[in-house]
Amino acid sequence: MSQPHPIGQYLIRAEPYYRPTGDEVELYRAAYAVRMPMMLKGPTGCGKTRFVEYMAWHLGRPLITIACHEDMTASDLVGRHLLDATGTRWQDGPLTLAVRFGAICYLDEIVEARQDTTVVLHPLADARRMLPLEKKGELVEAHTDFQLVISYNPGYQSIIKDLKQSTKQRFGALDFGWPPRDAEIEIVVHESGVTADLAGRLVSVGERARNLKGHGLDEGLSTRMLVYAGALIAQGVEPLAACRAALVGPVTDDPDIRDALDAVIKTFF
Amino acid sequence: MAPTVSSAAVPFSAIERRLACYLRALWGRPPVLRDAGRRARVSIVAGAIRMPEVLRAETVEGIALHRAAAAHAAAHLVHSAHRFPLAKLRPIQVAIVSLIEDARIERLAWQDLPGLRRLWLPFHVARPEAIPNATSLMARLARALIDPDYQDLDGWVAKGRELFEAHRARLDDPSISREIGTLLGNDLGQMRMQFDYGRYLVEPVYRDDNAFLWEFPENPSTPLPETEPEAVQAGTVTLETDSTIEGDRADQSPDGARREISPPQAVPATEVPDGPPHRYPEWDYVIGVHRPAWCTVRERRPESGDTRAIDEILSRREEVVARVTRLVRSAQVGHAARLRRQVEGNDLDLDAAIVAMADVRAGRTPSQRVYQRPGRIRRDLAVLWLLDLSRSTNDVVPGTGETILALARAATAVVAEAITAADDSFALHGFDSSGREDVGYYRFKDFDEPYAEAARARLAAITGRRSTRMGAALRHAGHLLSERRAARKLIVLVTDGAPHDIDVHDRWYLALDAKRAVEEQRRAGSATFCVSLDPGADAYVTRIFGAGNYLVLDHLRRLPEKLALVYLRWAAA
Repeated sequence: MSQPHPIGQYLIRAEPYYRPTGDEVELYRAAYAVRMPMMLKGPTGCGKTRFVEYMAWHLGRPLITIACHEDMTASDLVGRHLLDATGTRWQDGPLTLAVRFGAICYLDEIVEARQDTTVVLHPLADARRMLPLEKKGELVEAHTDFQLVISYNPGYQSIIKDLKQSTKQRFGALDFGWPPRDAEIEIVVHESGVTADLAGRLVSVGERARNLKGHGLDEGLSTRMLVYAGALIAQGVEPLAACRAALVGPVTDDPDIRDALDAVIKTFF
Repeated sequence: MAPTVSSAAVPFSAIERRLACYLRALWGRPPVLRDAGRRARVSIVAGAIRMPEVLRAETVEGIALHRAAAAHAAAHLVHSAHRFPLAKLRPIQVAIVSLIEDARIERLAWQDLPGLRRLWLPFHVARPEAIPNATSLMARLARALIDPDYQDLDGWVAKGRELFEAHRARLDDPSISREIGTLLGNDLGQMRMQFDYGRYLVEPVYRDDNAFLWEFPENPSTPLPETEPEAVQAGTVTLETDSTIEGDRADQSPDGARREISPPQAVPATEVPDGPPHRYPEWDYVIGVHRPAWCTVRERRPESGDTRAIDEILSRREEVVARVTRLVRSAQVGHAARLRRQVEGNDLDLDAAIVAMADVRAGRTPSQRVYQRPGRIRRDLAVLWLLDLSRSTNDVVPGTGETILALARAATAVVAEAITAADDSFALHGFDSSGREDVGYYRFKDFDEPYAEAARARLAAITGRRSTRMGAALRHAGHLLSERRAARKLIVLVTDGAPHDIDVHDRWYLALDAKRAVEEQRRAGSATFCVSLDPGADAYVTRIFGAGNYLVLDHLRRLPEKLALVYLRWAAA
């Protein structure tokens, strides 16, 4: 019996649902063809992660996703020495794994990571395409299939926490926004199983609520939230209650905004 | 008929923000809502929706009435694009054209926003069995046009309904209101119906007085003057007269809620500048270069006031201060992190342990620091709080009776208290200007100075005068901040409007210079965040500070809390 491939588990078996809203699929495919590192920009819940899953499936590449957080160190990305009975043993980190075996490495919410962590990406994200493992004294050349993708939400990030220009300029960027109305309805129908009419109303609520961004809401209601609301309705929850649970409650505690959102929901249900 | 007094009537001032959010959500444009005091109906004046302090209806209680009224007025603003000339229309025709126009814009609105019809419908309570006089017939027609289930055998109502439905394909065209309304008004006139303009009130109660729909003959080319509609006595036509509110005819204060534009005035040159001049360049976007040493910033000694004013602010907002201080304290020690290579801790620091093991095997003395523990990294942040002290800050904030400056001071007092409790490095400065040669800069509290009696006294004495040359002030603030040692440096600019100065008439010049100044500070390592108190500020504030780097306060009364949260957001980052 042969050993399972080290990154076989990261292959995406079934086609993820993704509804293209522009030329992003073609752009990404072209970028992948030249292995250009990509930056996916857009608000939370607009489909960045789903898109990269879809593209990984489409290109037949494994996808290694790393959720970045402020406590993440370079070792968490590249790997570390572990102790075992006979001494120390090197354990590749997820990034190294992707580099060695040719996966797409997706760093979600990259700005959450500290800046000294993100600089390990630099030699990978330019013409060198290599990853120095300092502690191990090894220079890993990237597999020809390897590609680096990061996601980045320019909206709510603080000015203090931003990517360095030297990091930013190593990436091509794809801008994601809220899908156009028809596409968003299609997505809500597909993902939640509600009728097109109901999905249309949910999308209307979402569109109107997005008008409050910056005027009481920090972010617009995401497509993901609309899908959640739809899913609750599909489970038999009464629409008003479903919208309150999935759309209003999570985003605000401000009684005035809650009231306004409530009235918006009643306008469509 | 006197309105029924309902105990559930909600005063407008209590729900103003809710309504504003509601309208903004539905139509995506900033609504201008104003408190119109004691009036019977909503009116629309110069694009602003003037809401009576109290509205009452027999059938519907609470906020729904205000919401219905606001939504109706907003639908007018969206769909009633042009005014009808009064020409030779008789009063009853004017009333009916207005009624048809109401029905038209409501129909257009609920085609997009179906719930609006449910919102409006409960107010239509006209009954077919009512005694047929002009007013009741009009109320019945209004109901017939919004309620398809309403049955009315009256020929005039039926004709109105038929005509309106026949024009359904042309709903976008306001002239149908005039066509249908004139016809119906004629019919009603021929029926010898009495119509008393003096007592006529638009029904149902949520509809506005419709005065803004009409172009009055005195000055046909200009929109309605900004006076009370009933003061515009256009010949015989006054669209709203209500004997029950006769008492407030005297209350003609035109729009007390509006912020007057205060022209900046030069301060007499006799004032002696206190500090040495600092010269800064200014960006001229027209020629695309910096004008070298263009602006002169002088530091002036701020006056001292009575600290009891500050104490009073704090005691009146005790709860807010406590909350903000608690919030800031909780974020005080910075963000969570693993502290590595510690002498003691609850986990082994694997990397350190391995190095230690390797040392042991190699025969070297291992380090003792092989533990890790969860801890917090102390933030190292210097904040320069910069107040815009221009003259316009003397304007009164609608609905509070307080000036913008007073609110900014209150907020600053609260935030200063909280930052002091959190032991962050912070300075509190202000600026004003009067031409490029005279930018005043005031240090109310400096970085190394404790926030104590003296600083509070200076904060108590701040006044708003002169203009806003933002770029020069930002450069000076950045210069002061650059001398600080801190990992993160932040300028928080609290302003109430776009930059302006007496010697600049190009409205983009100072804004683009300020944008340039923000970029310069950013390159020099100081971030700039703007807190704008001008609700219409989005356009220029985004340009100056960049998306995400500003906050437009949608509700000034919440300023203290919001400012504290803003501070937290950046400080904890």
